[in-house]
Amino acid sequence: MREITFAEALGEAISEEMGKNPTIFTYGEDVAKQGGIFGAYKSFSGKFSGRIFDTPISEEVIYGSALGAALVGMRPIAEFHFADFLFTGIQSITLQIEKIRYMTGGQGKLHLLLRGPDGISNSAAAQHSESIETIFMHTPGIKVIIPSTPYDIKGLIKTALREDDPVICFEHKMLYKTKGFVPEKEYLIPFGVADIKKEGNDVTVVTMSRMVHESLKAAEELEHEGISVEVIDLRTLVPWDKNQVIESVKKTGRLVVAHETWKRAGWGAEIASVVQEEAFDYLDAPVIRVGAKNVPMPFASTLQDFVTPNYKDVINAVKKVLR
Amino acid sequence: MYEIKMPRFGLNMECGFIEKWFKKEGEKIKEGEPLFEVSSEKITNEVVSPASGVLLKIIGQEKEEIKVGTVIAIIGEEGEKIKEIKEKEEPGKIDEIPEREEIPSMKVAPLEREGRIKASPLAKKMAREKNLDLSQMTGTGPAGRIEKKDVLIYLSSVSENKADFKIEKLSGLRRTIAERLSKSFHTAVTLTNTTEVDFTEFKKLMKENKVSITSGLVFFLSKVLRELNQFNAHFNHDKKEVIIYNNIHIGIAVDTEKGLMVPVIRNTDKLNLETINDQIKKIADEARKGVISENDIKGSTFTLTNLGMMRTEIFTPVINPPEVAILGIGRIIKKPVIVDEDKISIRELAYLSLSYDHQIIDGADAAKFLEKLARLIENPALLGGERKKFIDL
Repeated sequence: MREITFAEALGEAISEEMGKNPTIFTYGEDVAKQGGIFGAYKSFSGKFSGRIFDTPISEEVIYGSALGAALVGMRPIAEFHFADFLFTGIQSITLQIEKIRYMTGGQGKLHLLLRGPDGISNSAAAQHSESIETIFMHTPGIKVIIPSTPYDIKGLIKTALREDDPVICFEHKMLYKTKGFVPEKEYLIPFGVADIKKEGNDVTVVTMSRMVHESLKAAEELEHEGISVEVIDLRTLVPWDKNQVIESVKKTGRLVVAHETWKRAGWGAEIASVVQEEAFDYLDAPVIRVGAKNVPMPFASTLQDFVTPNYKDVINAVKKVLR
Repeated sequence: MYEIKMPRFGLNMECGFIEKWFKKEGEKIKEGEPLFEVSSEKITNEVVSPASGVLLKIIGQEKEEIKVGTVIAIIGEEGEKIKEIKEKEEPGKIDEIPEREEIPSMKVAPLEREGRIKASPLAKKMAREKNLDLSQMTGTGPAGRIEKKDVLIYLSSVSENKADFKIEKLSGLRRTIAERLSKSFHTAVTLTNTTEVDFTEFKKLMKENKVSITSGLVFFLSKVLRELNQFNAHFNHDKKEVIIYNNIHIGIAVDTEKGLMVPVIRNTDKLNLETINDQIKKIADEARKGVISENDIKGSTFTLTNLGMMRTEIFTPVINPPEVAILGIGRIIKKPVIVDEDKISIRELAYLSLSYDHQIIDGADAAKFLEKLARLIENPALLGGERKKFIDL
């Protein structure tokens, strides 16, 4: 099987679906001329004339126009730069995009995909490093996908482009260049189906995005110490695969939830709560969360490392639930 | 870094004697591997390492007696620097010795718990489903929390070849019995003398007075103890001294549902037969019902054990420490006996078995004791005066 990057897999998914569905068009800051800030649209040059274009830096306009286009039957893909700036156009999303399907009693479909980068990179500081996916898990009305591998993003984006509900996709900046096996044959990945990235028996680690890779690294190190960790990549946060997580907890009796976003009220708290509500009798130890420290991201790289969770934090958490 | 402290085995242990280190300084050790051997007054124990690493330092040397709770060795990682340890630092207070978690060898014995039992939800569920008693398990999780693995360990300890046997944890009473008797066995040099005694007259007398055989024996025994008071004594093995008591308090071995108990009748030499009988009845009844007070099972100076109601004639009673002797009586049976002028007569006979600590009492003394008692039992009139009179003493 061939190996391609995360960015290439993303571009391929969009390109394939645009080829099939003429209502799909894509736009945002620097997508057309530059080919996307992380190169997702590099392969688009000369293709899909008029269906890929650049916009001014105005989030309110980008999300608002996507809403309008979707309402009249198009399927826009609007890119945000970066996740931090979703808040500058938030009312289009939380007041309109998330609500229309509900307020029309399901008569109006909303074929709309918001996507863009989130998470840390090399010292991008407080305004360009955030992961705010929890906000969209908290406010109902939009599906949230957060792929961690080239294979997953291709399958999930293709599914998103066939959904009747609006979808938001968070792509971690540090994943775009990572490579992975992606089949040439077409495939889709359904929402709400977690992927067990590594099987194990002693502790379940539920995670997403960059932290999937940190957790796998932690699991590998812990394997040398005889600790068998099961790493579950939720892949989609709304809906999330509760059954898979609970099944795993029934097997291991111990749960760690690891994410890059802030630990305080991060989505890990939701997972932990649901597990204790629905699988309390299977827990052999308290659930432990791994997340960023509750401060805006510092600029200094040493401080960024201090604030951001990595595989060592996962190792510590696993050991803590085992003790 | 892990500090190894002198463990405590049993409540009374204050010091331990390091017999042997199984590892040398600088040697690697794994959790669970034997680390040292320690002996106390009672027993010798092998202590396993509670941690894996390198034995960085041995502080307590072989053949050295060390207070419980004192740091005797340090285990840590290779090359780890030892934080300042004052050599053989005395523990602050004996009462503040580490909780049982830090005493590795005690992990195996579930101790009586107080208050809430901490257990994980999963452990509770398993216990509920399998109908197990959480209080019997030892929690090895944080703060002693019982986890799944603890339930499994417990399960394997109770369900191993379930069809072949069952394992019962000793009750508090059984544990006390076991401790006392093993102490007796290990500290006393026990010998038993037996003699066959004619109980015909004695039995008649007890029947007339409507009192039990045991009551009569207590009464007669007290007279002998008054005279041969070295039998009415406690032996302090450590101090090498014998305490001879003026007052005679006789412990009566009573078989209860939970096990052997020894309630005590006080000042028996000053009581009449009827009072002794009433007191024995009351106290034995309380013991059997398990409502006897702590005070009524303490402070005996001599013990009597009667197996006469069962089919036992001769036995070797075990001394009830710190006492120095114990008298046993077997069942009374009719036998043909040669009496004066070589005539055969049917008499009621039983054996008296006197166990005594040969450290304190010589065989001849024991023989003398039995002879005196046997003569009294065979000729109650020897106590002088009318029967009625001595009984109302």
